[in-house]
Amino acid sequence: MSDATLTKGRLRAAVDREQNLLEVDNLSVTFARKGSRPVHAVDGVSFEVRPGQVVGIVGESGSGKSVTSLAVMGLLPSRGVTTTGQIRYRGTDLLGAGAKTLNDLRGREIAMVFQDPMSSLNPVVPVGVQVTEVLLRHSDVSRAEAKAEAEELLRRCGIPDPRRRLKEYPHQMSGGMRQRALIAIALACKPALLICDEPTTALDVTIQAQVLELLKELVADLDTAMIMITHDLGVVAGLCDFVNVMYSGRVVESASRQELFAHPRHRYTEGLLASIPRLDSPRGEPLRPIRGTPRDVISWSQACAFAPRCDHADDACATPDLALLVDGPGDHRMRCVHPAPLPGAEPDPPADVTGGAKR
Amino acid sequence: MTALDATQGAINEGLLGKTFEDERGTSLWQGAFRRLRRNPSAIIGAAIVAMLVLIAVFAPLLAPYEPATSEWIDQVTPSSVPGPSPEHPLGLDSFGSDMLTQLIYGARQTLVIGIVSTMIGVIGGAVLGVLAGGLGGWWDTGVMRFVDILLSIPSLLLAVSIAAVLGRTPWAIMIAIGIAQVPIFARLLRGSMLGQRGQDYVLAASSLGLRQRRIVMSHVLPNSLGPLIVQATLVLATATIEVAALSYLGLGQPDPAVAEWGRMLVKAQDRLQSDPRLAIMPGICMAVTALGFTLFGEALREALDPKSRR
Amino acid sequence: MSGDGNLLEVTGLQVHFPIKQGIVFDRTVGHVRAVDGVDLSVARGQTYGLVGESGCGKSTLGRALLRLEEPTAGSVIFDGVDVRALKPEPLRQLRRRMQMVFQDPLSSLNPRQSVESLLVEPLSVHGLSAQDAEEYGRDSAKAHLAKAAAMLEVVGLPRSALSRYPHEFSGGQRQRIGIARAMVLNPDLVIADEPVSALDVSVQAQVINLLEDLQELLGLTYLVIAHDLAVVRHISDTVGVMYLGRLVEEAPSDDLYERPLHPYTIALMSAIPIPDPEVEDHRERILLRGDLPSPANPPSGCRFHTRCPYRQPTRCDTEVPELRVIPTLGEGRRVACHWAEEIAAGTVGVADPDLVVEPVR
Repeated sequence: MSDATLTKGRLRAAVDREQNLLEVDNLSVTFARKGSRPVHAVDGVSFEVRPGQVVGIVGESGSGKSVTSLAVMGLLPSRGVTTTGQIRYRGTDLLGAGAKTLNDLRGREIAMVFQDPMSSLNPVVPVGVQVTEVLLRHSDVSRAEAKAEAEELLRRCGIPDPRRRLKEYPHQMSGGMRQRALIAIALACKPALLICDEPTTALDVTIQAQVLELLKELVADLDTAMIMITHDLGVVAGLCDFVNVMYSGRVVESASRQELFAHPRHRYTEGLLASIPRLDSPRGEPLRPIRGTPRDVISWSQACAFAPRCDHADDACATPDLALLVDGPGDHRMRCVHPAPLPGAEPDPPADVTGGAKR
Repeated sequence: MTALDATQGAINEGLLGKTFEDERGTSLWQGAFRRLRRNPSAIIGAAIVAMLVLIAVFAPLLAPYEPATSEWIDQVTPSSVPGPSPEHPLGLDSFGSDMLTQLIYGARQTLVIGIVSTMIGVIGGAVLGVLAGGLGGWWDTGVMRFVDILLSIPSLLLAVSIAAVLGRTPWAIMIAIGIAQVPIFARLLRGSMLGQRGQDYVLAASSLGLRQRRIVMSHVLPNSLGPLIVQATLVLATATIEVAALSYLGLGQPDPAVAEWGRMLVKAQDRLQSDPRLAIMPGICMAVTALGFTLFGEALREALDPKSRR
Repeated sequence: MSGDGNLLEVTGLQVHFPIKQGIVFDRTVGHVRAVDGVDLSVARGQTYGLVGESGCGKSTLGRALLRLEEPTAGSVIFDGVDVRALKPEPLRQLRRRMQMVFQDPLSSLNPRQSVESLLVEPLSVHGLSAQDAEEYGRDSAKAHLAKAAAMLEVVGLPRSALSRYPHEFSGGQRQRIGIARAMVLNPDLVIADEPVSALDVSVQAQVINLLEDLQELLGLTYLVIAHDLAVVRHISDTVGVMYLGRLVEEAPSDDLYERPLHPYTIALMSAIPIPDPEVEDHRERILLRGDLPSPANPPSGCRFHTRCPYRQPTRCDTEVPELRVIPTLGEGRRVACHWAEEIAAGTVGVADPDLVVEPVR
């Protein structure tokens, strides 16, 4: 596709394909407000993103996935928030970087697409201005050139009649179109990394399909790496190369997409996949839910946070700070004392009723 | 009992996620009260208000002298008024009364007038607000147009007019200020109720077959009172100042024997150059009172705001 | 009280909202046609699933059935009773037999009411149902409390929850309380408006199972409104698909998912992400063009024609297709498409290749 107009003058520095684009190393984010207990939203998360790779982060509420993405972008509030660990983008530690470095990186190298397009776009500024603003900030184009490019971007993102849309305000556009505009803004400077935080959750399913298809194409064309944060395993199955499953602030399982869905090993992933009603599975059987709620957790420093909800938990799971270990093909890692066995191995019976916590 | 067992038990209870100490449920009011207790502004504000109330109630015990006396009028000359001395810690005022006594008894008037007038405003406004917000339709339109008319008149002017009509009695001031506050409360409650009526729980109450009146009074109204209460505390602050303004204009309490901070300001006018103390003292009292109510009201607003709830 | 048969019969239901403009007097300048002519029936003891995306009118339909929104035309017959014709007082009394479970567990419970108060209130208004009176005795505070506690147990919450307040529970627990409230009067029909979409994924399955168990336990008839097709498929016997205020397809659950006939249903099915990379890579997807038209100004003819991938040059933009039974394609199925037979046979296909996403491999 390589459209000449889109790459004029702003080819970003060639990406070293051997090096990881982004490395998150033992990231922890704690929210501490006066008068309430500190909340460990992110509790020691580590993962990598290679250039051009699509990495999924899957989790429910309380898993810390959104906070992770905000930490990478440096968008967390400064008061009441403690962030430790390292986030290395092409070797530069983002957490220690100054405001100027971060501002230069954002939009140019790393961009973000948020969940709610209505509140992510400035309601009193025309959409066109919001797109050209990014272009003008990070490159040397003239205003006229930026405008032409903005129009081209909107067209490329599937917005019909883009010239007219440049002058429109966000409230004049539908949800799907606003999200496309957000994507256009994010990709305006052809960043090396795009972070999408639940970009389609607020959209109808047919619009979601369009937007995901668009993201797939753009990411492939621009060779942009993407982090897709979502709770929807279906979205991940169709889009991502590598998947990290988060629970209660830590990564509990990570694997390539085929491997994860074919052999979910961590009991949480296994339970999650088993509990979702699927279009292609037989009707008539009751669903197999996971007991309890995502709020029923214990601290990782004491035991496995998922243990209270796990049918296979026993006293061995009360190990503090369980490690994320490789236990499967293709760098399949899990943080589990009793993971589901690989096919062909002995089936793992549920924990003894007398011995432990199973009810 | 390991941590695992403890949490498992709590899951079976179905109630993990809330603190273990609570045995009974915490209603929203209780939760707000707890937050209030921890807020420094609330404590300061409440302390000021409490002090004011105590002074007002125990005035006879606290004041060194009787309030109505002008016994020391002979000490007052046209060019100076006696300042602080051992017998009169804050000095005399231009009419020969003890300043401290006047201030202490003045607290009574201020508090009574402030509270009564605010109550009039709140009750009047609440009634109108419930009619407009609860019944809707023509009631809403009618009441709101009436409120608009009231609002179109500057509140002080309105208060002055009413007080002038009602005569120079303390009740006149209270009613006048109260009526001037009615539109604010009416609007506030109506807006709050309309907001609540859009909520699903109101629809649910309807679908359960509850009568309209019950839905409005038992469901919508209690949830709409929050902003009203906060506004009432803030209005108390301004009411004290409005009382002073009305006194200053010569309306209100005609009896010169009754101490009142606003009137003290009036009396201090002539002597501003020579003895500014005569104006500064009641002025400080009014400011501190207003501050106390305002701090408390702001803290209350924060405590009641569900968004600040975790 | 009629015997077996349809508990609910809806004919030609319309709910139009006037659009008002004007400074002093509000003039009506148009209508939002949220529900624009829907016929459906729900048999006793069955579950009818209503799906569609935002703006299709399914939630409005659900509320109109209970007259929480007033229908502007059409009829709703509940167990032989014409619901629209009822005066306020008889309607209020009928409400005990038709209940609703709401989408947002937080806003559908009065934050200032304890759980006990929430559950006992409907009982104090309507009294215990006949069956419950046998078990708990005459209406009294004690009997009501006993019923409330029993209801809590049925939905899987402990008795100690009675003294607590909604904000002290998680989303899933609140939804259970909402369900308990709807069931405490032993209704005949329960309309569930997006009962699980506000819940975490791992909790959704619990609530779905609960709803199914309750249906069996209490002999309920359900109308489940949702946008999540997988959930609806699992729980429903018959599924109706709505688009812009009208039903475009209706079929028994298995038939619909095995072979959707209406272009909108086909696109909807293919849009749903499936948590299985093999399936995702190998399926062919049909994408829709553009955005939903405004319900205030629906397209002429078939409402879907502006976005339909199978659109044909004739009939689609001029004639409104009626929801009809096509005997060759199955009994008990209704489709509102002029070209349903041809699409099913394969003689009419998707014209624009951009709208078809080929399998990856």
